[in-house]
Amino acid sequence: MKEKKISIVIFPGSNCDRDLFVALEKCLGTKPEFIWHNCSHVKSTDMILIPGGFSFGDYLRAGTIATKSPAIKEVIRFSKRGVPIIGICNGFQILTECGLLEGALIKNSNQLFKCEKVNLKVINNKTIFTKNYKSSEIISLPIAHSQGNYFIESDNLKKIEDNDQIIFKYSSDFGDVTEKYNPNGSVNNIAGISNKKKNVIGLMPHPERAIENFHNGIDGIKFFKNLKDLI
Amino acid sequence: MIFRVYVNFKDGILDPEAEAIKQTIANMGLNSVKNLVKGKFFDIEVEDKKNYLSEIEKISKDLLANPIIENFKIVKK
Repeated sequence: MKEKKISIVIFPGSNCDRDLFVALEKCLGTKPEFIWHNCSHVKSTDMILIPGGFSFGDYLRAGTIATKSPAIKEVIRFSKRGVPIIGICNGFQILTECGLLEGALIKNSNQLFKCEKVNLKVINNKTIFTKNYKSSEIISLPIAHSQGNYFIESDNLKKIEDNDQIIFKYSSDFGDVTEKYNPNGSVNNIAGISNKKKNVIGLMPHPERAIENFHNGIDGIKFFKNLKDLI
Repeated sequence: MIFRVYVNFKDGILDPEAEAIKQTIANMGLNSVKNLVKGKFFDIEVEDKKNYLSEIEKISKDLLANPIIENFKIVKK
């Protein structure tokens, strides 16, 4: 069987691309390929990841300028074919800005750059990305962002809730989803969502920064191992 | 010909920068300010071609403003 291909898109200003490469190689045993942002034709891929960082210096709005790069047209093309797409941190911002995911990520309500470990409650464990999690499982991952405040209009919030598109929420160790455990002001503590078809996911926390014993936790390993069936 | 595109947050979208500016004004001992909204503008010079207006609208809608959180207004200078 032909080995499947994982792709990581890099923009000027991405800075988690290598961490993501190491995490995927360690957890899935597959070397991903890098796609430079101005690549206008990707021959084939079985999964695309968009890493964290500050693409194009976060100019205009975080993620906006990246959405005009040729590689994003390819990401959209593959997403329509059902190829799994994952955006982490700035990758999540890019996916909302290009319209593959609903809502927007605005400045943290507390005006702080938040760099800390948070607990996440798995809200939907039926997606291709989360099916190995237990229902309401609590995982712990680091965040590092100043624009992770997820916003969506109330009508659309209801739609994504009804369609089970909310994947992760910020919570306590015991799964309490309350304002106290919301690090950035996100609507309803939302930390990660999917598109309607559930083949595109975006999350603010960084699983690739929680895979080594010297990291602050290793819950990222399970996040990536969940992707094993997809490649 | 120059067009100015104003972009600002829609009502109800929290702008921590505007809040901080408002707080700073209070810290300066000035007390008449009730509310403060921050925005940005872009001056775009165009050639006199027949499609310039539709292009400026596309630039505003698809790039300068995110319609989920921001309004924009195009004004001829």
